[in-house]
Amino acid sequence: MIEVRELTKRYGTARAVDGLTFEVKPGYVAGFLGPNGAGKSTTMRAILGLDRPTSGEALVNGRHYAEIKNPMHHVGALIDAGAVHGGRSAYDHLHVLARSNGIGPKRVVHTLEQVGLAGVARRRVGTLSLGMKQRLGVAAALLGDPGVLLFDEPVNGLDPEGIRWIRHLMRDLAAEGRTVLVSSHLMSEMALTADRVVVIGRGKLILEASMQDLSDRFQRDVLVRTAHRTELTRALERSGATVRQEDGALAVQGITAHDIGEIAAHQRIPVHELTPRSASLEDAYLELTDDSVEYRTEETAR
Amino acid sequence: MTDVLVSEFLKLRTVRSTTYLLLSLVLTLAAGALVSYLMTADYDVQPPDVQVRFGAADPGMVVLPFGQFVLGVLGALAVTSEYGSGMIRTALVSVPRRKSFLLAKTAVVGGVSAVVGAAITLLAYAAGELITGDRPKPISAYDSFAEAAPTLLANTASLTLLGLFGLGLGFLLRSTAGVLVTLCGLLFVIPGISLLLPSPWDDRVYSVMLPVLAPQLAGELADPPLSPAAAALVMVAYLVSVLGGGMVALLRRDA
Repeated sequence: MIEVRELTKRYGTARAVDGLTFEVKPGYVAGFLGPNGAGKSTTMRAILGLDRPTSGEALVNGRHYAEIKNPMHHVGALIDAGAVHGGRSAYDHLHVLARSNGIGPKRVVHTLEQVGLAGVARRRVGTLSLGMKQRLGVAAALLGDPGVLLFDEPVNGLDPEGIRWIRHLMRDLAAEGRTVLVSSHLMSEMALTADRVVVIGRGKLILEASMQDLSDRFQRDVLVRTAHRTELTRALERSGATVRQEDGALAVQGITAHDIGEIAAHQRIPVHELTPRSASLEDAYLELTDDSVEYRTEETAR
Repeated sequence: MTDVLVSEFLKLRTVRSTTYLLLSLVLTLAAGALVSYLMTADYDVQPPDVQVRFGAADPGMVVLPFGQFVLGVLGALAVTSEYGSGMIRTALVSVPRRKSFLLAKTAVVGGVSAVVGAAITLLAYAAGELITGDRPKPISAYDSFAEAAPTLLANTASLTLLGLFGLGLGFLLRSTAGVLVTLCGLLFVIPGISLLLPSPWDDRVYSVMLPVLAPQLAGELADPPLSPAAAALVMVAYLVSVLGGGMVALLRRDA
């Protein structure tokens, strides 16, 4: 269980996080979405006690992170795969972390196998690829078999096989009843992984919803093809729908595909196609965060 | 707390910088012994009236200043390598109690510095005795171990101090380069400059400089500005201020 309450973090005059409130419960993968600079990492750092909030608080299992004894048994975190001393071997790196929380070497070996790094355990971390470092970071998070997991941009640098692996891992962890919070700036990635999303922009909460709600909310219209456009348009408009011509078809809003079919059948109008069209989650996300993009490129000429 | 201590010791043991620093101390010992040997060889061929004007052929003269610097770097790297690589964030996520974190590092760096400091001090003494053999003073630094003991203890104390001083500076400055410049300044540059101050400030300031605390602590100077007890107090003051400052920085600032 992760609770963020009225969290505000200022750096100088810039508000990285601004009165953010949300919570993540066990049992599902929560996607933490926002454009670059939205405050995702700052929020995660505040949850982990690395950054002191300017006001508000962030709690893990009802406690401040810094007060938890041997926190690796309760919370696992991957904040930055590069945040390791490059001179230690992969095994030594995990061993050092494990020891600080009273975790034995057997568990280190097991975790290395679990993330597929057993073969490079003796290699220095500095010589590992970014993808391998991500796996090492995941291993560090899993060391204490914690009930709460935070991953900051875990798919960065992973190859397709690695991305699939981490997707399954996160879903499995959530299915085991753990609390899983994953940040990303890519909606497409979250669409495949997350059950719920917390979308933020400029440090503020934009939306907290289930993935299903999000796609329902951005339901756009229904495309209808028929040889009898005029009759059908009249019939649909009578029942309150808005109808627009589109490339010899009809784009209908304000009525479900189910009702359109019923009306057409009732009027004995043959329909050749009936397609509900929703904005892709990607579009939904862009629309949501449009006002809050901090670093924007000039529109490229097409 | 024991877990954090062991973890910090493992951290120190599993990086190559520690090995290289210890190797450089071995090289320094060899260089010190070589200087002593050459001095002794020169001493043997001089007439008696020149022999009495010789300085002591003590490898410690080479080993002490270099050892102070190396242990300062060792202490600093225990922190600054973590800030430099970002490991500090991973480390503070696994040990979020920052006081315990700093105390564990202090204990490990202090312990290692004391052991290494005592070892190189004793080895330098033994090498000097072996090289000068049964020759008398002044080429031999000491007549007996009992006579040498205060100096050896004071040198070990100052080497330990430098290890912890480097650690504290590391917590304060968070940058390896920053600590190196500061250490060089305090050990090698500012003591010389302080002697240019108008009297009596030259002696007063010089007497509290890091490199001259060990001889005053040992009471081996004829008319020192600081008594051994006062020198010990100054050493403690160095430690408390820099480690205290480091603690405040660690507790107050974001990682």
